[in-house]
Amino acid sequence: MTLHFGDPQIAIGVVFAVIALLLAAAFVVIGVQAGSDISAERVHRIGYWLRKRWLALLVVIGVLVVGVSLFDLPYANGGAGGRTVVKVTGGQFFWSLQPGRVPAGTRVRFDVTSVDVNHGFGLYEPGGHLIAEVQAMPGYDNKLDLTLDRPGKYEIRCLEFCGLNHATMEGTFVVGGR
Amino acid sequence: MATVTPGLPGTLHPRAAAFTVETRSIERCVGLLFAVSGIALIAAMGLLGLVMRLTQAGAINLSPGWFYRVMTLHGGGMITGALLAAMGATWYVLRAVVPLRTSWMLGSYGLMTGGAVAVLVATLVGGFAAAWTFLPPLPFYPTGLWSTWSEVAFFAGMMSIGTGFFVFCLDVLMQTTGAYGGLRGAVGWRFLRARDAEAPPPQVIAATVVAFDGALAMTAGAAITLGLLGRTYDSGVGFDVLVAKNLVYFFGHTIANLIIYLVAASVYVILPRYAGRPYEATKVFVGGWLAAWLLIVTVYSHHLYMDFVQPRWAEVASTISSYASLLPVAVITIYSMTMLVWGSVYRWTLASTLMYVGLAGWAIGGTGAVIDSIIPINFRFHNTVWVVAHFHTYLMLTVVVWILAFIAHLLERDAEGTSSPTKRITAIALMLVGGYGLTGTWFVAGALGVPRRYALQPPGTNGYSVAGSVFALLFALGFLACLAQLVPLAREAWQRRHYEEEQRVNSWTGARYTALVARDSTVEDAPPPAPAVALAPPLDGPRQLALAAAACVVSLAAFFPQVISASETSVRYHHLDHAGQFFLGTLLGLLLGSTGAVSRRLGDRPGLGLTAVVVVPAVMMLLMVPRFYEPLEGHGAAHAAYHLALAGCGLLTGLGASRLGILAGRLTAFLAIAMTLMFAAATTGG
Repeated sequence: MTLHFGDPQIAIGVVFAVIALLLAAAFVVIGVQAGSDISAERVHRIGYWLRKRWLALLVVIGVLVVGVSLFDLPYANGGAGGRTVVKVTGGQFFWSLQPGRVPAGTRVRFDVTSVDVNHGFGLYEPGGHLIAEVQAMPGYDNKLDLTLDRPGKYEIRCLEFCGLNHATMEGTFVVGGR
Repeated sequence: MATVTPGLPGTLHPRAAAFTVETRSIERCVGLLFAVSGIALIAAMGLLGLVMRLTQAGAINLSPGWFYRVMTLHGGGMITGALLAAMGATWYVLRAVVPLRTSWMLGSYGLMTGGAVAVLVATLVGGFAAAWTFLPPLPFYPTGLWSTWSEVAFFAGMMSIGTGFFVFCLDVLMQTTGAYGGLRGAVGWRFLRARDAEAPPPQVIAATVVAFDGALAMTAGAAITLGLLGRTYDSGVGFDVLVAKNLVYFFGHTIANLIIYLVAASVYVILPRYAGRPYEATKVFVGGWLAAWLLIVTVYSHHLYMDFVQPRWAEVASTISSYASLLPVAVITIYSMTMLVWGSVYRWTLASTLMYVGLAGWAIGGTGAVIDSIIPINFRFHNTVWVVAHFHTYLMLTVVVWILAFIAHLLERDAEGTSSPTKRITAIALMLVGGYGLTGTWFVAGALGVPRRYALQPPGTNGYSVAGSVFALLFALGFLACLAQLVPLAREAWQRRHYEEEQRVNSWTGARYTALVARDSTVEDAPPPAPAVALAPPLDGPRQLALAAAACVVSLAAFFPQVISASETSVRYHHLDHAGQFFLGTLLGLLLGSTGAVSRRLGDRPGLGLTAVVVVPAVMMLLMVPRFYEPLEGHGAAHAAYHLALAGCGLLTGLGASRLGILAGRLTAFLAIAMTLMFAAATTGG
């Protein structure tokens, strides 16, 4: 399956690129002005004035972004409820999913574990876009809740280094029509 | 008090004469030894990185088995090389104000380079390929790639590297706290509370924080590595995968993170010399470093966001501290450095240019890291090559660049010159285009969902590897061009340091000429920093001694037959009981070593104390495997002797810790006990 870009990765990549360019521009401007002679008093006056605002800006962004993110945690809560439980087992170098097929729109709980070493259950939707991941750990069950609306063949890739055939440890999961 | 340089070379800012301290030969030599060894290791590991990228691009045909061997060596070697160089840079700026021990530093060098050789042998000869993060139990699922001896060599190598860093950390802690009135003085807490009129120099505060956190991280690393070593000769040893993962990342993430903070300590001292503005610790600076002290050791858990069974509070705390760790870096270190540079009539040399551009790498790479530390974002980016992108940005474009800057600074000072503007701009431009180009390909591919650590790239993504390889080659060219400029500087520096020009007249022809004559080697070096004060015992006064004695009495419970018998129902409880016995011995040793008579008899032997606190707990944990203690459980006397031996290990550790002074003594005793508890938590089976 060929990978494709999708949201929110595109948006996050664009935000990062904009911030990186702004930072680079700031370093170029300061570097260009490094050769000029500005009194220490002026540097302190402007620098400390700006620093307070810089700190305030970063704190506000942090509170907003981190705060909002805490309402969107991917961790499953409570029992499976009305969800279809799909038992996922990883091993060197295979994925086993029981059942391997559900109807579109099914509310699924992936119950993920491993029989040997740590693996990473990475789920790519039929378009080749990474939509979710969770670790597969021996001795533990990680529970991932998703609602899969898009029908087609989903691909699973290993997202935790697990040995020789890590790059080819693939599996599939089918979401049928409604 | 350090000596201020009377005359400065023209490469430095004229105003810097007021605050640039004179350095001694030993500081230059040790600083260069570590930095040059580190950069050589980085260059070799960089070559391996290029081989990996070319393999992913399909340009060369490396089998997956070899790819993962190379990947394991690349990671372990890079961390070691960068750490070595960062330690050298910090030692150079710190020893000007604090009497660090040269013998301990050279001991660290031996341990770390020896460890690096063991890792090299384990991977290239033994085939070990479980990644430098060696997440248990992967090292014991080799799928035919490696054998047991290579596991032993790899873990022993990592232990040796970690021990070398631990020795460095301990010496820094002992000397900074000795010179600046204890831990609270050395980290600036007393200055913050207005108890001290002046703050310690910035490099002292930074190095103390890094050393403290480094000692904590090394302890976690030792606990899990010793467990893994135990597993190599006793297959009965098992691991709680979640606890083991916490220990591995607490060690691995923290050590990788500390490298940049360590180099930053040298930047605080060196960059102002080109800006002609002194950098002094303010209350904001101290506050930032006190925050960083806590944040550095709490952020590691973001590696476990996708381990949904990790306690929720740990995930939430980690996302908050990951973002918060941005603040001291962005608002204090990077911001203050740019304030120093702005409008300073900055002296642009090879060293100062590298130092300035390195600031941008930390800012940009750090932004990529902070974005990835938001949990819902990590849900789509975890273990994609986005991670590879952000850490390469600040390792290649900050740490490596600053190490080159450090070497260039030392050489420029002695050579009293720098390379030509055209040469240095070309070299640095190549490094920037190549470096940001390479990490850019990873950022884009990460957003596409390309997983990291893939020998074979997913279909349709080869283009990123091809472009990445081209950019990596450009970076390598720039790096080599930088090295090429350092060679003539080194030659000139050597000549100026050892020879001087003398005007002479030819007695036959009467012609005047300039001759190079050897400098007078009897000219005295700058005076060494004030000698270290005598080490006080860790437990001071009757109250502390009484408390320790009371704790010893309580911990005698670990020897009660009922407790031992009950603990044998579970391996974890059994190891916990062993930890209790070790605790009793350690406290007893600390107590005895702190009493006047025993202390006098033991004498002032910090080296011996250091050896005891490093070696004895390690030996004890290697003995704490089912293969040794299970056969003894049926024999009462032998069983009791085994438990007494564990307490005996504690006693030796405590006595050793008592030779290390108040802070290092208490800290090492605490860490030794903590290591046994971590070991008990992580290991199962048997």
